Amino acid sequence: MGSRRLFLTTALGAIGAVLAFAAGWPVWRYLSPMEEPGEEERIALDREDVPLGVAHFFRFRGQPAVVLQSSPGVYYAFSAICTHLGCIVQWLPEQREFLCPCHAGRFSPDGRVLSGPPPRPLDSLPVTVVDNRLLIG
Amino acid sequence: MIHILGRTWGLLLFLLFLPTDVSAQQNQDETVCIQCHGGIPGAIGAPVRQWQGSIHQRHGVLCFHCHGGDPTDFGLAHSPERGFLGAPGDEDVPKFCGRCHVGVTEDYFESAHGQALGAGGPNCVTCHGSHAVQRATSELINPQDCTRCHEYGRAEEIKNAIAGTEAFISSLEGDVAALHRLGIDTSRLEGSIFSVRNEFRRLFHSVDVERVRNETDNFQQQLGVIAGQVEALQAELARRKVWGGAVVVLLILAGVLSLLLYKSYMEGKEG
Repeated sequence: MGSRRLFLTTALGAIGAVLAFAAGWPVWRYLSPMEEPGEEERIALDREDVPLGVAHFFRFRGQPAVVLQSSPGVYYAFSAICTHLGCIVQWLPEQREFLCPCHAGRFSPDGRVLSGPPPRPLDSLPVTVVDNRLLIG
Repeated sequence: MIHILGRTWGLLLFLLFLPTDVSAQQNQDETVCIQCHGGIPGAIGAPVRQWQGSIHQRHGVLCFHCHGGDPTDFGLAHSPERGFLGAPGDEDVPKFCGRCHVGVTEDYFESAHGQALGAGGPNCVTCHGSHAVQRATSELINPQDCTRCHEYGRAEEIKNAIAGTEAFISSLEGDVAALHRLGIDTSRLEGSIFSVRNEFRRLFHSVDVERVRNETDNFQQQLGVIAGQVEALQAELARRKVWGGAVVVLLILAGVLSLLLYKSYMEGKEG
């Protein structure tokens, strides 16, 4: 009788431990702080690649992004995905604005919505100037 | 107490079955354009009836978004000072639609269709219709419509060239919609597909078969990346199903073991 109870109790305890782990793992994953982007997840560009008034398009974490020098030494970087339906915006240097070719959403050089259907500004990305390089992300 | 509970349930049921687009529908009906034109029989009221059920209506694009004017004031609805444009002439249609559909219009103007504008060439509404416009599909390229202006051969070549990519896009849209129904946030995937689809449709508005063939690989590649992301989500869901099944089995096993343990204690007491 004793060994039977011991077996049942041990088996029950083992199953309980597995179930507790299965229940706790998603909670742990959800509560764990998100990883900070490492150096390798940032994009480094030469400042020369982004002359004044020119928008430089690049891939950031697999998505299209753009950096612009709107006035001397002032850089803005954004996701190049229009906040309306997800098309890729274009930079119009003469008008000094971004245009979404799908439904004519227009954005200012600092990403604000000027007109059209986009519900919010372009998602901005942090830009840091270090020596002669731009660190984005 | 019972009354309060009853009312709360009533309110919850009311909110549950309340159509979600009530306010949008009300806004649409509140424009003076629809209040006036909607009640007029014949050609003057027809655009409202055609527009109802169109893709523009479903996405909240109202009369004044295209035709201008003040939609809140009967007196100023047709006022040029409030931006009223009225209906464009045949040759002005592409620019009229192109105020919103910028990219596609650019490619249209460079195409044989656009070059022939004003000389019998088609404008946007020739293929897409005007007020009853629906979501565009490759079915718009068909012998009945294309042969109104020219032989079908070249149009058929374009249709064949785009068929594979169009089918790929439709299948991805179906997969993403299925993921969305399961509660996955698919907004980024939907945006990516929409973007590729729009770029691809710009391409075939060039009506240049060779260009379509040459650039199709690039689109297939972009769609392949999205398909990879969709497959990763589907694999994650499949893994969750396996884990869910395993948890259910373990719970049943735990129940059986608990029962046996309880029984052994009861037998010990009786013995």
